[in-house]
Amino acid sequence: MLAGGITCFSSCSDFLERQPDTIMTDDQIFGDEVMIRSVLANYYGRVSWGQHISDDYTYTILDEAGRSDGGPDNIQNYGDALWRVYDYGLIRNINQFLQSLRETTAVDEEDKQAYEGEARFLRAWTYFNMARGMGGMPIVGDEVFEYESGMDITTLQYPRSTEAGIYDYIIEECEAISALLSDETNTHSARANKWVALMLKARAAIYAGSLANYNNKMSSPIRTSGGEVGIPADRAAGYYEQALAAAKDVIDNSPYELQLNKPDDLERNFYEALSVKDNNKEVIWAHDRIYPGTGQQTGFTTRNIPGSHAEDIDRAYAGPILNLVEDFEYTDDRNGDIHIRNAQGDYIFYDDPLDAFANKDARLGGTVILPNALFKGTPVPLQAGQKVWNNGSWQTLVGQSDERDAANRLITSANGPVRNNDPYVNKTGFFFRKFLDEAAGASTRGRNSEMWFPRFRFAEAVLIAAEAAMELGQQSVAVGYINQVRERAGIQPLTSVTLDDIIQERRVEFAFENHRYWDLKRFRRAHIVWNGVVNSPTAQQYALFPYLVVAPGTPNDGKYVFDRLVFSGSLHPRFFQLRNYYNFIDLGWRNANPKIVLNPFQ
Amino acid sequence: MAECEPEDCIESISITFMTTTMKKYLNMLLLPAIVAVSSCGLDNYDAPESKLTGRVVYNGEPVGVRGTGEAVQLQLYQDGYELRDPIPVYVGQDGTFEAKLFDGEYKLVTRDNNGPWVNDRDTTVVNVSGTANVDIEVTPFYTVSNVQLALSGSSADASFQVNEIASGTDIDYVMILVGKTSFVDDVSYTARVDINDATAGSTVTGSIDLANNTDFQSGGPLYARVGLRPTGKDQAIYSQVVKLR
Repeated sequence: MLAGGITCFSSCSDFLERQPDTIMTDDQIFGDEVMIRSVLANYYGRVSWGQHISDDYTYTILDEAGRSDGGPDNIQNYGDALWRVYDYGLIRNINQFLQSLRETTAVDEEDKQAYEGEARFLRAWTYFNMARGMGGMPIVGDEVFEYESGMDITTLQYPRSTEAGIYDYIIEECEAISALLSDETNTHSARANKWVALMLKARAAIYAGSLANYNNKMSSPIRTSGGEVGIPADRAAGYYEQALAAAKDVIDNSPYELQLNKPDDLERNFYEALSVKDNNKEVIWAHDRIYPGTGQQTGFTTRNIPGSHAEDIDRAYAGPILNLVEDFEYTDDRNGDIHIRNAQGDYIFYDDPLDAFANKDARLGGTVILPNALFKGTPVPLQAGQKVWNNGSWQTLVGQSDERDAANRLITSANGPVRNNDPYVNKTGFFFRKFLDEAAGASTRGRNSEMWFPRFRFAEAVLIAAEAAMELGQQSVAVGYINQVRERAGIQPLTSVTLDDIIQERRVEFAFENHRYWDLKRFRRAHIVWNGVVNSPTAQQYALFPYLVVAPGTPNDGKYVFDRLVFSGSLHPRFFQLRNYYNFIDLGWRNANPKIVLNPFQ
Repeated sequence: MAECEPEDCIESISITFMTTTMKKYLNMLLLPAIVAVSSCGLDNYDAPESKLTGRVVYNGEPVGVRGTGEAVQLQLYQDGYELRDPIPVYVGQDGTFEAKLFDGEYKLVTRDNNGPWVNDRDTTVVNVSGTANVDIEVTPFYTVSNVQLALSGSSADASFQVNEIASGTDIDYVMILVGKTSFVDDVSYTARVDINDATAGSTVTGSIDLANNTDFQSGGPLYARVGLRPTGKDQAIYSQVVKLR
């Protein structure tokens, strides 16, 4: 037996005695500008965290979308490590890059500065993603640690910074970086420039300001004794001023704008501002994608395209939920609830299911495919069944996929929505529109989509400015900014701005853009919105089911009505507990570095 | 055999053993066999057999908490080892806990800011030898007492007194909960009513109409308890669960 074992592991060729062709020396890399750029490209590929379109499951765990790929999910609580980022490997790599870049003679000083700026921006972005999950974390500067046997490892162990300290560091870095980088745009906004650095500065400052402000307004603020979590309240105003200044700089001086190419079709305009890359003036920094190229595309369109428009076997993985749809206002009514019953409790009848969404915020149609709305020029049917008028009461008739009744009228659309566990049939009543690619072949497995994922865009600068001005008591400034965004959405202007207005505006403007979770955390609203109460209007997920009315001989025959139902694809209300405001520190990290203190509730 | 060079070994096997094709198949059989029979003794501990039991108490009475979702935990530390990861000890809804351990000296603490009591992380030293029993004293912000829960017709009626024990927080809300299993808390329930204007020292009464509740209509067993959530705390304090029917 032993002999047999040895034969498996022994070899006589010199297969292993070769020079590696995938490991390159520092001289090979930093002697060649093309190689330097490709190393930088590698770092750009390593900075997607949190919600993004290549991980559409992440949209279903908050209050934006629900799954329809099978039976119900069991999500209820949020994990202690949800979207936790702890990437000192990347920070070390960037510091190694900086060290070698500063020594090279292969590129001239001007280009060197630009590369240094990009690398340091990616490092600041990494720290920002760590900070918003965990609070203050060790800041290692430009240090590249080298361990030699026998050395005192305590010199390598850095304690956590304070939460204020890490935001200060990010803000200072971005200030310095913005001077190193070009102020010109680049293809598909894929690389950092001056305005990207200023956007991160504005975002870090507004996060820090709202944390300083709202954490200390809780009945028992969340903090650690060393300030690793918890920013003193008196810092808030300073942060808000920094955020307002940085956002104003972007608004007043950058080449970007609130894109308004189609003033006659605001819905289409909003879709294009987010989801059409060429000649885009809205997006400041994005994770860009391209076809061909292995692994350079996203399957978002493939997985989520409506069945009626699918080009491959995949479809309808998930869909937006009613909670999000109803948070979009009407042009003249701030309460966005869909009108499905009149004051007497009777159904409201619509000639076309799409009529129920008339006069809504134009962003709704640019974010969500509504029942019978057009996608790629053809309507997307969504019909749950028929409502049959039978001896004075409504009877609900649900059929098989695309089944028709004796009069050849559709009962249930193949698209859904349904309440059973059939995989890949819609269960919410809506499909994704934002980031759904219209290009031919974009929903096939072989090609997938070139859709980007924007990380910073002009509207965020405007809403950061509005929020900061509101917090600083500059109401007229805040009103001016927020109304720019509302005007593009075609909804009524505001005359004053409150925190609730800011939360509401960001909710609908930035749906699916990785803002919702972090916003509710920094405003300390998450435990109130996702309170875990069954049938809570905000914590429970809801669906909207359209039905065809079958009432021969009455004027309502052939019209459509709607039912508001608890979403069958997620059984439990979302429950965000106080301990979820900060990720837990992994105990392994503390074992390796005893100077790391744990987070509250841990 | 062990002394020969690997090349020689292969040589001798192919000559004395069998043809190369057959060898290939035999290797496939032998490899798992070798892996299966060899092992190192380092990880071959017996499972811990000693048992630590205990209660979280106030004035000698166990404190009712949420028992699902690992909501309330204590932490056990043991000194003398290189790593200091706590062993989590989960507190059941009746305030009791239990852990299987190796014999030794442990330090038991509550988890930071976890539970409806004043955050006090004093250490309780526990010596486990065979068995050990320990009560952890806590100071709740509020307690509920004189709890009456009963089913009358299709209504679950509750009456209880709210007592303030420690200052520093307010009453966020009190809740009456009915569940279809014996696990009842603010996450596991079939019916729930929140009362927001309860004050300390008063008697709170409330009822839940179950007429339209499917679990009530099904005629199965029903359980109930009341709870109180102190403002800004992560957990509510509960009465013990009673069976309504």
